[in-house]
Amino acid sequence: MAALCKAVCVAKRGAKLARISCRSLLAFGKLYSTGDTSEFPGNKEDTPTAEKKLSGFAAAFELHSGLQQKHDIAAGTVGKSPGSNEHSFATLLKQSPLVQMGTSKDKVAVGKIFHIVNNDLYVDFGGKFHCVCKRPAVDGEKYQRGSRVRLRLVDLELTSRFLGAKTDTTLLEADAVLLGLLETKPK
Amino acid sequence: MAVGLLKKALPRLGLAVPAWPGVRCMTSRLYGTAAAQTQIHQPDNSVGSDKILTEPLKHPDFFRLSELFSLKDLFDARVHLGHKIGCRHRLMEQYLFGCRLEQDILDLDQTMEHLQQALNFTAHVAYRRGIILFVSRNRQFTHLIESMARDCGEYAHCRYWQGGLLTNANVQYGKGVRLPDLIVFLSTLNNVFQQHVAVRDAAKMNIPTVGIVDSNCNPSLLTYPVPGNDDSGPAVELYCKLFRMTINRAKDKRRQMEILYGLKSQND
Repeated sequence: MAALCKAVCVAKRGAKLARISCRSLLAFGKLYSTGDTSEFPGNKEDTPTAEKKLSGFAAAFELHSGLQQKHDIAAGTVGKSPGSNEHSFATLLKQSPLVQMGTSKDKVAVGKIFHIVNNDLYVDFGGKFHCVCKRPAVDGEKYQRGSRVRLRLVDLELTSRFLGAKTDTTLLEADAVLLGLLETKPK
Repeated sequence: MAVGLLKKALPRLGLAVPAWPGVRCMTSRLYGTAAAQTQIHQPDNSVGSDKILTEPLKHPDFFRLSELFSLKDLFDARVHLGHKIGCRHRLMEQYLFGCRLEQDILDLDQTMEHLQQALNFTAHVAYRRGIILFVSRNRQFTHLIESMARDCGEYAHCRYWQGGLLTNANVQYGKGVRLPDLIVFLSTLNNVFQQHVAVRDAAKMNIPTVGIVDSNCNPSLLTYPVPGNDDSGPAVELYCKLFRMTINRAKDKRRQMEILYGLKSQND
């Protein structure tokens, strides 16, 4: 959560981010809401009326969901269910795997080989750039166009500022270590 | 013709063609003053042909291009991903949503608006039988762009650009050469990360340009810049698909309108 909130933005977008971080708090809250009985109608044990006094996390969740509803009504986003296609760009970005992953160093990703030149495999794993890996010695023939492979990412874009340059020089490639083919479990 | 109509409405505008990207309206993009382009197609003075040309200008989205793409499509095609913060061009800061772990993220809300305007302009140019030239120096997508241009009946130049192609056309190709009426850049940089020569030359020759600008590009000389990713495969495939559909739609619409107004003028 801290990593999400740390997404540094241009100063004028600061207010927008503050609202996003509030929403992220609440999103995480919803994921953990197992014990809140008064909200769910299917629960037969507790009475329909909210007589049972909520405490601790349940009370906080009640309070924040009320606040979230007020905010939604104020912002005019009521009626937008999570399954609908009406997500804003900010929501799509926040929920995207790229942002949820955090730093790319040492993260394992699945990529697909889209081009092969002799022993170089060009693998696309969903980032801006593809990565180029050497064909491994073990099971070399199994790496063909369209094969899915596991990668350990190092960097999403290889850039560096050289002496005397105004901007970074970019290699237009990502950097990753090939771990092996994607092992599909036999059913 | 439309030029006569527009000159009647805005008498002083016919001569001044401002090159600032801020001015977006169709009326200021007049081809009448571009010396290198010759109007081969002589319009007849019947009411029908006048209607064909003026009717599309009355609607903000005559070709209904907003239904061709959505924010989700752009997002899934990775259009919002930019370069690292060190590669950022100062003039692209207005189009950025922010920077996440040193990678710039482009604002897709702004991209949607710019893309809509760019596609609308492309459609109008294709409707009026303009020549559209696709330019990109990204070798990964050369084949894709060339086949897309062939599919929509327009032109592509994804190879080495000779210095005087536009500015010295009369000498290199003979007199009376018709230059493109619109140049679309699917990547505005050449292979050494300098701006493609055609951007500057098109501005010199009064040719409007549409360009996909990434976070390391300079958007200032383009008429219709579209902030977006120009390096990922899915993104460029999406742009190619959109341009091809736009141009085909515009040409089909033109054929329909000609039949419609051609029949009307016969019946009158």
